[in-house]
Amino acid sequence: MDNVRRQFIKGGTALVAATSLYLLHDAGAKDQTTGQHRYAMLHDENKCIGCNACSEACRATNQVPDGVARLRIERTGPYGEFPDQYYHFSRVSCQQCEQAPCVNVCPTGASYIDPETGIVTVNSWKCVGCQYCIAACPYHIRFINPVTHAADKCDFCRESNLREGKSPACVAACPTKALTFGDIDDPNSAIVAALNQQPVYRAKEDIGTHPKLFRIRAKAGGITL
Amino acid sequence: MSRNTWRTVLGAATLVCLSSFSQANADNDTAAPINQDACMKCHKRNGTMLGIHANPQLHLSCQNCHGEKGNHPRKPNDLRVFSDEITTDAMTANQACWQCHDAKELGDKAWFHNMHADKLYCWSCHKLHVKDDPALQGASSLQCRQCHAEQPAQEVNRG
Repeated sequence: MDNVRRQFIKGGTALVAATSLYLLHDAGAKDQTTGQHRYAMLHDENKCIGCNACSEACRATNQVPDGVARLRIERTGPYGEFPDQYYHFSRVSCQQCEQAPCVNVCPTGASYIDPETGIVTVNSWKCVGCQYCIAACPYHIRFINPVTHAADKCDFCRESNLREGKSPACVAACPTKALTFGDIDDPNSAIVAALNQQPVYRAKEDIGTHPKLFRIRAKAGGITL
Repeated sequence: MSRNTWRTVLGAATLVCLSSFSQANADNDTAAPINQDACMKCHKRNGTMLGIHANPQLHLSCQNCHGEKGNHPRKPNDLRVFSDEITTDAMTANQACWQCHDAKELGDKAWFHNMHADKLYCWSCHKLHVKDDPALQGASSLQCRQCHAEQPAQEVNRG
């Protein structure tokens, strides 16, 4: 009797272990075949020269009308005394939060996180222009596009360059390679390598939005060539 | 000579005068006072000032920027040469421009002047003799690229 029970428990445990192993293995395989990504960007503020090539390219590529912008570079300074002066540059654009307040407040589902790329996106057809997302965004980067009358913001060029298999316009345009774009779920990507190499920070990390726009804090002093 | 003939001659002379004057006006760039400078007797080809400094209201002469003739054309002389090949440090060489253009004011108007003041010559970016200074044309990021580019400019699809 005891033997039968022991055998039953042994067999049952083995079966459960085998099934779960099989499922785990299967899930991993599935992940790779559907091409799931978690896209992120890294802005090296030490390399940025504030030339605005990124914002010009963004405007041209995504047909962003004048008066609004998906991306701009905020300049602070000059620091120091003339002529020994320098500036700091910081990227102002969607932070691609993983816990995005704009998505949570959207009443129509126009604002959503694309499950395949992890990119916070706006479906302009569903947007009714209520501007809840604009109020909810802790980074103040959303705006109403005067042409589509829908909420608009940076989507890592998901609907333009990314669709064609190219990197986002800003990344391609940057003369100093201050921007790195890639999949943080892919351990072999350039962005993961860069993130592992040096300390980075994110804006308003403490509010729990888990932004995917990483930044390398600029050191004091100018850019050396 | 009859009075009528005199009138005709006077009229013709006036016309000739007027037409030559208007021609000079049309050819304003080379006719600017700065280009009537004594220097132009020799420097016809390489020195004509077509840029904004040719504006007659500025009353500029070649010497204002390039310095007094002194020993020139013998060498050595004290003439200022606006070239990237000089060895003078930027802060000293740029004084030539800063005698009129206040360095700090330039920084207030266009932020990128500040940190370049002691690293670049003004003429590393600005071209002064040509009609349109390339540094004042179009997108400024192209100008930055000349030194800062790690990757070449990419063709942006503008529509």
